[in-house]
Amino acid sequence: MFRLQGSRTLAVDLAGDAVKAKNGSMVAYDGRVTFKKMTGGGDGLRGMVTRRLTGEQMSVMEVTGQGTCYFADRASEINLVPLHGDKLYVEASNLLCTDAGLRTGTTFTGLRGGASGNGLFTTTVEGTGQVAIMSDGPAVALRVSAQYPLFVDPGAYIAHQGNLQQHLQSGVNFRTLIGEGSGESFQIRFEGEGVVYVQPSERNTLGGDV
Amino acid sequence: MSTPVVFDPMTLPSDDNVDAYTFCVELKGSQWFLQKGKMIAYYGRIDFNGIGHGRFERLLRTSFHSPLHANDWVVAEGSGKMLLADRAFDVNSYDLDDGNLTIRSGNLLAYQPSLALKQSIVPGFLTLIGTGKFVAASNGPVVFMEPPLRVDPQALVGWADCPSPCHHYDHGYMTGVLGGLRSMTGLGGTSGEEHQFEFVGAGTVLLQSTEILMAEQPTGAVPGQAGVPGGGSQPGATPRMPGQLGDLQRRFGL
Repeated sequence: MFRLQGSRTLAVDLAGDAVKAKNGSMVAYDGRVTFKKMTGGGDGLRGMVTRRLTGEQMSVMEVTGQGTCYFADRASEINLVPLHGDKLYVEASNLLCTDAGLRTGTTFTGLRGGASGNGLFTTTVEGTGQVAIMSDGPAVALRVSAQYPLFVDPGAYIAHQGNLQQHLQSGVNFRTLIGEGSGESFQIRFEGEGVVYVQPSERNTLGGDV
Repeated sequence: MSTPVVFDPMTLPSDDNVDAYTFCVELKGSQWFLQKGKMIAYYGRIDFNGIGHGRFERLLRTSFHSPLHANDWVVAEGSGKMLLADRAFDVNSYDLDDGNLTIRSGNLLAYQPSLALKQSIVPGFLTLIGTGKFVAASNGPVVFMEPPLRVDPQALVGWADCPSPCHHYDHGYMTGVLGGLRSMTGLGGTSGEEHQFEFVGAGTVLLQSTEILMAEQPTGAVPGQAGVPGGGSQPGATPRMPGQLGDLQRRFGL
Protein backbone atom coordinates (compact mmCIF):
# COMPACT_ATOMS: atom_id res chain seq x y z
CA MET A 1 0.00 0.00 0.00
CA PHE A 2 1.16 3.53 -0.76
CA ARG A 3 1.98 5.91 2.05
CA LEU A 4 4.11 9.02 2.29
CA GLN A 5 7.24 9.00 4.39
CA GLY A 6 7.68 12.72 4.76
CA SER A 7 6.40 14.60 1.74
CA ARG A 8 9.15 13.63 -0.68
CA THR A 9 9.51 9.91 -0.20
CA LEU A 10 6.93 7.31 -1.12
CA ALA A 11 6.85 4.09 0.89
CA VAL A 12 5.11 1.12 -0.68
CA ASP A 13 4.32 -1.95 1.40
CA LEU A 14 4.46 -5.00 -0.80
CA ALA A 15 2.95 -8.35 0.12
CA GLY A 16 3.70 -10.41 -2.91
CA ASP A 17 2.01 -7.90 -5.20
CA ALA A 18 3.56 -5.58 -7.76
CA VAL A 19 3.78 -1.86 -8.54
CA LYS A 20 5.09 0.01 -11.55
CA ALA A 21 7.53 2.80 -10.77
CA LYS A 22 9.68 5.24 -12.67
CA ASN A 23 12.94 3.57 -13.59
CA GLY A 24 15.69 4.24 -11.07
CA SER A 25 13.46 5.95 -8.50
CA MET A 26 14.03 3.36 -5.74
CA VAL A 27 16.04 4.84 -2.88
CA ALA A 28 15.82 2.04 -0.31
CA TYR A 29 13.99 -1.17 0.47
CA ASP A 30 13.77 -3.83 3.11
CA GLY A 31 12.58 -7.39 2.70
CA ARG A 32 12.86 -9.29 -0.55
CA VAL A 33 12.10 -7.06 -3.48
CA THR A 34 13.01 -7.50 -7.12
CA PHE A 35 13.13 -4.87 -9.85
CA LYS A 36 12.56 -5.55 -13.50
CA LYS A 37 12.79 -2.96 -16.26
CA MET A 38 9.65 -2.95 -18.37
CA THR A 39 10.33 -2.27 -21.99
CA GLY A 40 8.50 0.64 -23.58
CA GLY A 41 6.64 2.04 -20.60
CA GLY A 42 4.94 -1.22 -19.66
CA ASP A 43 2.01 -0.83 -22.03
CA GLY A 44 2.74 -3.88 -24.15
CA LEU A 45 3.95 -3.91 -27.69
CA ARG A 46 1.32 -1.58 -29.09
CA GLY A 47 1.84 0.88 -26.26
CA MET A 48 5.55 0.76 -26.86
CA VAL A 49 5.15 1.71 -30.48
CA THR A 50 2.73 4.48 -29.56
CA ARG A 51 5.11 5.89 -27.00
CA ARG A 52 7.94 5.85 -29.50
CA LEU A 53 5.81 7.65 -32.05
CA THR A 54 4.34 10.22 -29.71
CA GLY A 55 7.51 11.06 -27.81
CA GLU A 56 5.68 10.49 -24.52
CA GLN A 57 8.38 8.08 -23.43
CA MET A 58 8.47 6.66 -19.99
CA SER A 59 10.89 4.22 -18.56
CA VAL A 60 9.24 2.02 -16.01
CA MET A 61 10.25 -0.84 -13.78
CA GLU A 62 8.13 -3.47 -12.18
CA VAL A 63 8.72 -3.90 -8.47
CA THR A 64 7.58 -7.16 -6.85
CA GLY A 65 8.23 -8.96 -3.60
CA GLN A 66 7.66 -8.85 0.12
CA GLY A 67 8.65 -5.87 2.20
CA THR A 68 8.74 -2.10 1.99
CA CYS A 69 10.21 -0.18 -0.91
CA TYR A 70 10.94 3.56 -0.84
CA PHE A 71 10.80 5.76 -3.92
CA ALA A 72 11.90 9.35 -4.48
CA ASP A 73 12.98 11.44 -7.44
CA ARG A 74 15.09 14.59 -7.19
CA ALA A 75 13.35 15.69 -3.99
CA SER A 76 10.11 16.38 -5.83
CA GLU A 77 7.00 16.59 -3.72
CA ILE A 78 4.87 13.46 -4.01
CA ASN A 79 1.09 13.45 -4.12
CA LEU A 80 -1.10 10.37 -3.79
CA VAL A 81 -4.13 10.11 -6.04
CA PRO A 82 -6.70 7.37 -5.47
CA LEU A 83 -8.45 6.13 -8.59
CA HIS A 84 -11.86 4.46 -8.47
CA GLY A 85 -12.41 3.33 -12.00
CA ASP A 86 -11.77 6.78 -13.45
CA LYS A 87 -8.98 8.04 -15.62
CA LEU A 88 -6.02 10.20 -14.61
CA TYR A 89 -4.18 12.25 -17.21
CA VAL A 90 -0.63 13.03 -16.18
CA GLU A 91 2.64 13.90 -17.87
CA ALA A 92 5.00 10.94 -18.06
CA SER A 93 7.67 13.02 -16.33
CA ASN A 94 5.37 13.63 -13.34
CA LEU A 95 4.38 10.00 -12.86
CA LEU A 96 6.31 8.22 -10.10
CA CYS A 97 4.50 5.04 -9.23
CA THR A 98 1.24 3.18 -9.97
CA ASP A 99 -0.43 0.03 -8.73
CA ALA A 100 0.31 -2.77 -11.15
CA GLY A 101 -3.40 -3.30 -11.72
CA LEU A 102 -3.78 0.13 -13.34
CA ARG A 103 -3.62 0.42 -17.10
CA THR A 104 -1.37 3.06 -18.54
CA GLY A 105 -1.56 4.45 -22.04
CA THR A 106 -1.06 7.56 -24.10
CA THR A 107 -3.56 10.03 -25.41
CA PHE A 108 -3.62 13.10 -27.60
CA THR A 109 -4.03 16.34 -25.66
CA GLY A 110 -4.33 18.79 -28.47
CA LEU A 111 -3.09 22.33 -28.33
CA ARG A 112 -2.91 22.42 -24.54
CA GLY A 113 0.09 20.10 -24.51
CA GLY A 114 1.94 22.30 -26.92
CA ALA A 115 1.39 25.36 -24.78
CA SER A 116 2.46 23.72 -21.53
CA GLY A 117 5.72 22.62 -23.05
CA ASN A 118 4.93 18.95 -22.62
CA GLY A 119 4.39 17.82 -26.16
CA LEU A 120 1.11 16.99 -27.77
CA PHE A 121 0.57 13.71 -25.97
CA THR A 122 0.07 12.75 -22.37
CA THR A 123 -0.04 9.59 -20.28
CA THR A 124 -3.29 8.15 -18.98
CA VAL A 125 -3.72 5.90 -15.96
CA GLU A 126 -6.99 4.02 -15.67
CA GLY A 127 -8.56 1.54 -13.27
CA THR A 128 -8.86 1.21 -9.52
CA GLY A 129 -5.87 1.71 -7.28
CA GLN A 130 -3.37 4.33 -6.27
CA VAL A 131 -1.07 6.58 -8.23
CA ALA A 132 1.82 8.71 -6.94
CA ILE A 133 2.50 11.84 -8.96
CA MET A 134 5.34 14.31 -8.53
CA SER A 135 5.28 18.07 -8.53
CA ASP A 136 7.60 20.99 -7.87
CA GLY A 137 6.19 21.98 -4.50
CA PRO A 138 3.10 20.24 -3.10
CA ALA A 139 0.27 20.10 -5.61
CA VAL A 140 -3.08 21.76 -4.96
CA ALA A 141 -6.13 19.77 -6.04
CA LEU A 142 -8.91 21.94 -7.45
CA ARG A 143 -12.41 20.67 -8.15
CA VAL A 144 -14.09 21.58 -11.39
CA SER A 145 -17.86 21.39 -11.64
CA ALA A 146 -20.46 22.58 -14.08
CA GLN A 147 -20.93 25.96 -12.40
CA TYR A 148 -17.24 26.46 -11.62
CA PRO A 149 -14.97 26.16 -14.61
CA LEU A 150 -11.29 26.50 -13.76
CA PHE A 151 -8.53 28.41 -15.53
CA VAL A 152 -5.01 27.10 -15.14
CA ASP A 153 -1.65 28.43 -16.19
CA PRO A 154 -0.18 25.86 -18.60
CA GLY A 155 3.14 25.92 -16.76
CA ALA A 156 1.58 24.98 -13.44
CA TYR A 157 -0.67 22.17 -14.70
CA ILE A 158 0.47 18.66 -13.78
CA ALA A 159 -2.50 16.30 -13.94
CA HIS A 160 -6.26 16.01 -14.03
CA GLN A 161 -8.84 13.30 -13.53
CA GLY A 162 -12.50 12.86 -14.28
CA ASN A 163 -14.63 13.90 -17.20
CA LEU A 164 -13.15 17.24 -18.20
CA GLN A 165 -12.95 19.16 -21.43
CA GLN A 166 -10.01 21.44 -21.86
CA HIS A 167 -9.68 24.44 -24.09
CA LEU A 168 -6.68 26.57 -24.67
CA GLN A 169 -7.64 30.16 -24.21
CA SER A 170 -5.54 33.04 -25.31
CA GLY A 171 -5.73 36.64 -24.27
CA VAL A 172 -3.31 37.83 -26.89
CA ASN A 173 -4.29 41.24 -28.18
CA PHE A 174 -2.57 44.19 -29.71
CA ARG A 175 -1.02 45.08 -26.35
CA THR A 176 0.87 41.81 -26.34
CA LEU A 177 2.35 42.74 -29.68
CA ILE A 178 3.59 46.11 -28.51
CA GLY A 179 5.30 44.53 -25.52
CA GLU A 180 2.69 45.18 -22.88
CA GLY A 181 1.51 41.61 -22.50
CA SER A 182 0.14 40.48 -19.21
CA GLY A 183 2.31 37.39 -18.86
CA GLU A 184 -0.88 35.42 -18.40
CA SER A 185 -2.00 35.34 -21.99
CA PHE A 186 -2.44 31.61 -22.30
CA GLN A 187 -4.65 29.65 -19.97
CA ILE A 188 -6.26 26.24 -20.09
CA ARG A 189 -9.96 26.33 -19.35
CA PHE A 190 -11.30 23.15 -17.75
CA GLU A 191 -15.01 22.42 -17.92
CA GLY A 192 -17.02 19.42 -16.77
CA GLU A 193 -16.69 17.37 -13.61
CA GLY A 194 -13.36 16.40 -12.17
CA VAL A 195 -10.23 17.42 -10.31
CA VAL A 196 -7.22 19.34 -11.61
CA TYR A 197 -3.81 19.23 -9.93
CA VAL A 198 -1.58 22.30 -10.12
CA GLN A 199 1.89 22.85 -8.70
CA PRO A 200 3.04 26.08 -7.00
CA SER A 201 5.69 26.69 -9.64
CA GLU A 202 5.74 27.29 -13.36
CA ARG A 203 7.67 25.42 -15.98
CA ASN A 204 9.04 27.46 -18.81
CA THR A 205 6.44 27.36 -21.47
CA LEU A 206 6.11 28.53 -24.99
CA GLY A 207 3.47 31.07 -24.05
CA GLY A 208 4.99 32.00 -20.70
CA ASP A 209 6.44 35.34 -21.68
CA VAL A 210 3.63 36.84 -23.69
CA MET B 1 -3.82 6.19 3.06
CA SER B 2 -3.74 9.94 2.72
CA THR B 3 -6.13 11.43 0.24
CA PRO B 4 -5.33 14.89 -1.08
CA VAL B 5 -7.72 17.61 -0.02
CA VAL B 6 -9.69 18.75 -3.02
CA PHE B 7 -10.50 22.45 -3.04
CA ASP B 8 -13.37 24.14 -4.80
CA PRO B 9 -14.30 27.83 -4.85
CA MET B 10 -16.27 27.42 -1.63
CA THR B 11 -13.53 25.78 0.41
CA LEU B 12 -10.60 27.82 -0.87
CA PRO B 13 -9.54 30.35 1.75
CA SER B 14 -10.13 34.02 1.06
CA ASP B 15 -6.92 36.10 1.01
CA ASP B 16 -5.05 33.42 2.89
CA ASN B 17 -2.56 30.62 2.35
CA VAL B 18 -3.81 27.35 0.85
CA ASP B 19 -0.57 25.75 1.95
CA ALA B 20 2.89 27.13 2.66
CA TYR B 21 3.59 27.53 -1.06
CA THR B 22 0.27 28.70 -2.48
CA PHE B 23 -1.75 31.78 -1.67
CA CYS B 24 -5.38 32.38 -2.58
CA VAL B 25 -6.65 35.87 -3.36
CA GLU B 26 -10.35 36.61 -3.51
CA LEU B 27 -11.39 39.33 -5.89
CA LYS B 28 -14.82 40.87 -5.60
CA GLY B 29 -14.81 43.36 -8.38
CA SER B 30 -11.56 44.63 -6.90
CA GLN B 31 -8.04 44.85 -8.24
CA TRP B 32 -4.67 43.45 -7.28
CA PHE B 33 -1.23 44.13 -8.64
CA LEU B 34 0.80 41.02 -9.30
CA GLN B 35 4.12 40.17 -10.81
CA LYS B 36 3.92 38.63 -14.24
CA GLY B 37 3.55 34.89 -14.39
CA LYS B 38 2.80 34.23 -10.73
CA MET B 39 -0.84 33.25 -11.18
CA ILE B 40 -1.18 29.46 -11.37
CA ALA B 41 -4.96 29.00 -11.52
CA TYR B 42 -8.22 30.82 -10.96
CA TYR B 43 -11.98 30.38 -10.69
CA GLY B 44 -14.41 33.00 -11.86
CA ARG B 45 -13.97 35.89 -14.24
CA ILE B 46 -10.62 37.60 -13.88
CA ASP B 47 -8.86 39.74 -16.45
CA PHE B 48 -5.14 40.23 -16.53
CA ASN B 49 -3.88 43.39 -18.12
CA GLY B 50 -0.44 44.78 -18.62
CA ILE B 51 0.11 47.92 -16.65
CA GLY B 52 0.44 50.13 -19.68
CA HIS B 53 -3.31 49.78 -20.10
CA GLY B 54 -4.92 53.21 -20.42
CA ARG B 55 -7.76 52.46 -18.02
CA PHE B 56 -5.29 52.07 -15.19
CA GLU B 57 -3.88 55.58 -15.43
CA ARG B 58 -5.47 56.71 -12.19
CA LEU B 59 -4.67 53.53 -10.34
CA LEU B 60 -1.07 53.81 -11.43
CA ARG B 61 -0.81 57.36 -10.27
CA THR B 62 -1.95 56.47 -6.76
CA SER B 63 -0.36 53.08 -6.20
CA PHE B 64 2.42 52.43 -8.65
CA HIS B 65 5.47 54.62 -8.61
CA SER B 66 8.11 52.60 -10.38
CA PRO B 67 7.32 53.58 -13.94
CA LEU B 68 10.45 51.99 -15.28
CA HIS B 69 9.66 48.48 -14.28
CA ALA B 70 5.98 48.58 -15.08
CA ASN B 71 6.61 45.85 -17.64
CA ASP B 72 6.95 43.25 -14.93
CA TRP B 73 3.58 43.88 -13.34
CA VAL B 74 0.00 43.16 -14.28
CA VAL B 75 -3.31 44.17 -12.80
CA ALA B 76 -5.79 41.39 -12.03
CA GLU B 77 -9.36 42.58 -12.04
CA GLY B 78 -12.73 40.86 -11.76
CA SER B 79 -14.36 38.50 -9.34
CA GLY B 80 -13.33 35.04 -8.33
CA LYS B 81 -10.51 33.35 -6.53
CA MET B 82 -7.02 33.08 -7.87
CA LEU B 83 -4.02 31.11 -6.70
CA LEU B 84 -0.56 32.66 -6.60
CA ALA B 85 2.71 30.81 -6.29
CA ASP B 86 6.34 31.39 -7.11
CA ARG B 87 8.76 28.62 -8.05
CA ALA B 88 7.67 26.52 -5.08
CA PHE B 89 9.04 29.07 -2.62
CA ASP B 90 7.28 29.79 0.66
CA VAL B 91 4.70 32.54 0.30
CA ASN B 92 3.21 34.63 3.06
CA SER B 93 0.90 37.57 3.27
CA TYR B 94 1.52 40.60 5.40
CA ASP B 95 -0.84 43.32 6.53
CA LEU B 96 0.31 46.88 6.67
CA ASP B 97 -1.71 49.28 8.75
CA ASP B 98 -0.73 52.77 7.78
CA GLY B 99 2.84 51.54 7.77
CA ASN B 100 5.77 51.06 5.49
CA LEU B 101 7.85 48.10 4.49
CA THR B 102 10.86 47.79 2.24
CA ILE B 103 11.40 44.49 0.50
CA ARG B 104 13.84 42.95 -1.96
CA SER B 105 12.30 43.34 -5.40
CA GLY B 106 12.41 39.65 -6.32
CA ASN B 107 10.45 38.64 -3.23
CA LEU B 108 7.33 40.70 -3.77
CA LEU B 109 4.56 38.76 -5.54
CA ALA B 110 1.39 40.80 -5.31
CA TYR B 111 -0.21 43.67 -3.42
CA GLN B 112 -3.49 45.50 -2.98
CA PRO B 113 -3.79 48.80 -4.77
CA SER B 114 -4.54 50.50 -1.45
CA LEU B 115 -0.78 50.28 -0.94
CA ALA B 116 1.60 52.45 -2.88
CA LEU B 117 4.65 50.80 -4.37
CA LYS B 118 7.77 52.94 -4.68
CA GLN B 119 11.36 52.32 -5.52
CA SER B 120 13.54 52.37 -2.45
CA ILE B 121 16.62 54.56 -2.27
CA VAL B 122 18.46 51.31 -1.61
CA PRO B 123 19.04 49.79 -5.07
CA GLY B 124 17.15 46.56 -5.71
CA PHE B 125 14.54 47.19 -3.04
CA LEU B 126 10.96 48.36 -3.22
CA THR B 127 8.97 50.17 -0.55
CA LEU B 128 5.27 49.70 0.14
CA ILE B 129 3.47 52.47 1.96
CA GLY B 130 -0.08 52.64 3.24
CA THR B 131 -2.73 50.22 4.46
CA GLY B 132 -3.41 46.88 2.85
CA LYS B 133 -2.22 43.39 2.21
CA PHE B 134 0.68 42.14 0.17
CA VAL B 135 2.09 38.72 -0.64
CA ALA B 136 5.79 37.96 -0.61
CA ALA B 137 7.83 34.88 -1.32
CA SER B 138 10.91 33.72 0.53
CA ASN B 139 13.30 30.85 0.31
CA GLY B 140 12.28 29.04 3.46
CA PRO B 141 10.04 30.48 6.19
CA VAL B 142 10.45 34.13 7.14
CA VAL B 143 11.91 35.07 10.52
CA PHE B 144 11.04 38.40 12.15
CA MET B 145 13.75 40.11 14.18
CA GLU B 146 13.98 43.27 16.20
CA PRO B 147 16.86 45.71 15.79
CA PRO B 148 19.54 46.33 16.83
CA LEU B 149 21.02 43.45 14.86
CA ARG B 150 23.40 42.64 12.04
CA VAL B 151 22.26 40.34 9.27
CA ASP B 152 23.85 38.48 6.42
CA PRO B 153 23.22 40.27 3.11
CA GLN B 154 21.90 37.13 1.42
CA ALA B 155 19.40 36.37 4.17
CA LEU B 156 17.78 39.81 4.19
CA VAL B 157 14.26 39.94 2.79
CA GLY B 158 13.20 43.38 3.97
CA TRP B 159 12.49 45.66 6.86
CA ALA B 160 9.53 47.57 8.22
CA ASP B 161 9.03 50.86 10.05
CA CYS B 162 12.30 52.46 9.11
CA PRO B 163 15.19 51.07 11.05
CA SER B 164 18.32 52.44 9.43
CA PRO B 165 20.04 49.89 7.21
CA CYS B 166 23.76 50.31 6.72
CA HIS B 167 26.80 48.26 5.86
CA HIS B 168 28.99 46.84 8.57
CA TYR B 169 32.47 45.43 8.05
CA ASP B 170 34.52 43.45 10.50
CA HIS B 171 37.57 45.62 10.34
CA GLY B 172 39.86 43.16 12.02
CA TYR B 173 39.59 41.08 8.90
CA MET B 174 39.61 43.78 6.35
CA THR B 175 42.31 46.27 7.19
CA GLY B 176 46.06 46.24 7.05
CA VAL B 177 48.21 44.75 4.31
CA LEU B 178 47.59 41.24 5.56
CA GLY B 179 43.88 41.85 5.79
CA GLY B 180 43.81 43.20 2.27
CA LEU B 181 45.64 40.20 0.91
CA ARG B 182 43.42 37.90 2.88
CA SER B 183 40.18 39.37 1.61
CA MET B 184 41.50 39.50 -1.96
CA THR B 185 42.83 35.99 -2.16
CA GLY B 186 40.89 34.19 0.50
CA LEU B 187 44.21 32.84 1.81
CA GLY B 188 44.56 32.67 5.52
CA GLY B 189 40.88 32.03 5.93
CA THR B 190 37.92 34.27 5.44
CA SER B 191 34.78 33.21 7.19
CA GLY B 192 32.57 34.70 4.49
CA GLU B 193 30.87 36.71 7.19
CA GLU B 194 33.02 39.83 7.29
CA HIS B 195 30.32 41.96 5.76
CA GLN B 196 26.85 42.38 7.24
CA PHE B 197 23.94 44.75 7.13
CA GLU B 198 23.37 46.53 10.39
CA PHE B 199 19.96 47.66 11.61
CA VAL B 200 19.34 50.01 14.50
CA GLY B 201 16.25 51.90 15.55
CA ALA B 202 12.67 50.81 16.06
CA GLY B 203 11.12 48.42 13.58
CA THR B 204 11.14 44.87 12.31
CA VAL B 205 13.63 43.09 10.07
CA LEU B 206 12.53 40.17 7.90
CA LEU B 207 14.99 37.37 7.19
CA GLN B 208 14.66 34.24 5.13
CA SER B 209 16.05 31.04 6.52
CA THR B 210 18.54 30.36 3.73
CA GLU B 211 21.26 32.37 2.09
CA ILE B 212 20.10 31.49 -1.39
CA LEU B 213 18.83 34.67 -2.96
CA MET B 214 15.74 34.73 -5.08
CA ALA B 215 16.33 36.07 -8.56
CA GLU B 216 16.14 39.82 -8.51
CA GLN B 217 13.57 41.70 -10.48
CA PRO B 218 14.91 44.85 -12.06
CA THR B 219 13.40 47.81 -10.27
CA GLY B 220 14.07 50.21 -13.07
CA ALA B 221 16.77 52.85 -13.34
CA VAL B 222 16.63 55.96 -11.22
CA PRO B 223 16.92 59.41 -12.72
CA GLY B 224 20.58 60.28 -13.37
CA GLN B 225 20.73 63.15 -10.95
CA ALA B 226 23.44 64.26 -8.65
CA GLY B 227 22.75 63.01 -5.16
CA VAL B 228 20.56 60.11 -6.22
CA PRO B 229 22.16 56.83 -5.11
CA GLY B 230 22.72 54.73 -8.20
CA GLY B 231 22.01 57.75 -10.33
CA GLY B 232 25.45 57.38 -11.75
CA SER B 233 26.72 60.96 -11.66
CA GLN B 234 28.97 60.72 -8.62
CA PRO B 235 32.70 60.91 -9.16
CA GLY B 236 34.53 57.61 -8.76
CA ALA B 237 31.69 55.56 -10.06
CA THR B 238 32.94 52.17 -8.83
CA PRO B 239 32.76 51.95 -5.06
CA ARG B 240 35.94 50.78 -3.41
CA MET B 241 35.84 47.64 -1.39
CA PRO B 242 37.98 47.77 1.70
CA GLY B 243 41.05 45.68 1.14
CA GLN B 244 41.10 46.41 -2.56
CA LEU B 245 44.53 46.66 -4.17
CA GLY B 246 43.94 50.26 -5.17
CA ASP B 247 43.89 51.15 -1.52
CA LEU B 248 47.56 50.26 -1.04
CA GLN B 249 48.62 53.87 -1.36
CA ARG B 250 46.23 54.89 1.31
CA ARG B 251 47.34 52.02 3.48
CA PHE B 252 50.90 53.25 3.44
CA GLY B 253 49.75 56.80 3.94
CA LEU B 254 50.97 58.03 0.54
